[in-house]
Amino acid sequence: MRSALPWVTTVSRLILAGVLVIAGWGKIGTPVLSVEAVKAYQLLPDPVATAVGYGLPILEIVVGILLIVGLLTRVAGIASALLMLAFVIGIASVWARGLRIDCGCFGGGGQLAAGEEPSYLIDILRDFGLFALGVIIAWFPPGRFALDSALGLTPGRDSGRHDDDPESDDEELREGEDD
Amino acid sequence: MGKEAREARQRLKAQREAERERERKKRIATIVTVAVVAVGAVGAGWWFAAQSSQSEQPTTALAPITRAADGTVVMARPGVDKPVVDVYEDFQCPACKSLEETSAATLKNLAAEGRVKVVFHTVTIFPQDLFEGVTRANSVRAAAAARCVPAGPAWMTFHDRLFKEQPPEDAEGFAIDDLVAWGEDAGVTDPNFATCVKNQQHAAAHLADSDKTLQAAQIDGTPTLKLNGAAVEQGTAFNPSALRQAVLDAAK
Repeated sequence: MRSALPWVTTVSRLILAGVLVIAGWGKIGTPVLSVEAVKAYQLLPDPVATAVGYGLPILEIVVGILLIVGLLTRVAGIASALLMLAFVIGIASVWARGLRIDCGCFGGGGQLAAGEEPSYLIDILRDFGLFALGVIIAWFPPGRFALDSALGLTPGRDSGRHDDDPESDDEELREGEDD
Repeated sequence: MGKEAREARQRLKAQREAERERERKKRIATIVTVAVVAVGAVGAGWWFAAQSSQSEQPTTALAPITRAADGTVVMARPGVDKPVVDVYEDFQCPACKSLEETSAATLKNLAAEGRVKVVFHTVTIFPQDLFEGVTRANSVRAAAAARCVPAGPAWMTFHDRLFKEQPPEDAEGFAIDDLVAWGEDAGVTDPNFATCVKNQQHAAAHLADSDKTLQAAQIDGTPTLKLNGAAVEQGTAFNPSALRQAVLDAAK
């Protein structure tokens, strides 16, 4: 378990990052449609919906990139977990209110295509799964292939836990990399 | 002896403390830098998104507007027959409203500059089983009323007004009395206009043309823009400067 955990975090990071980057990329080319998709939820007042429509795609991409390279991993993990939680709540609320929209998760203006049925349950399950990945990433160390470890940004986490332990793991890691 | 050893150990400890402090500062500096870059990137992306969807200012004089036999409305300067932009839109479709707000001014300006011929195809895409037919009925009422408006600047004013007043998809809107009033606001003087709207005189013709258009044009949904017959990507259609460039390139 101890040896598998870093890989679990790394894989979680890559999956979550992949989805975020694809989702952001699908939206960023057409900010107007992105705004339209946010408005389709009928949750936010128009000016806020516009700001979210413009800002969300780039936020997803930036958080996704941070997750891929493993920088500020914990913050990125928390941010993506919060995003996914917000999506789950948004979609559930649309479902509960009987609206018929496309979640706009990967682009589009939130309109169902002709003859298309909403896929709320699948969307919610997917986003909840991604939320769980976000929690794993925020909870555990950044895992393999993380710039956080390479730059020595992680010991803040360890040294807080055991002050008397002379940062053994970390020093080993750094020495190993110097070779 | 013991004292010296203790002092040495304390010196070492102090050194180690200082080292740790330096490390801590370096760490904070790196974290702050990364955070600033990340927030900066989000800000820049946000700004860029807002910029790219900035609409053109419409010029005052529109290109002449005429109506073809198949119910389509053509906006072009005399003699301009290419490139052609086909606009497939439904007065009830929210994304069409966004396209109207974003890119309509670009098409109007390009047509007024004599750089493009714009053909408006009004269609009804909503099926009867959506919201018990409310959405479809809205769409048909508006489209039929628009056909009562004689071709000319008044048609464009009416067209723009319909998008501005677009009701939610699940609520009844485009009431007959409103449609008549908006037509009069748009400058329609035809005495038969009110009757034409009230009787929904052109509803059947609109639906027939709409079905024919949707079949023939093979579009996935509205809005769709076609440039010389090829569908324009949404990323271009909804980006006024990209749309202008695409039309100018097609003229070469």
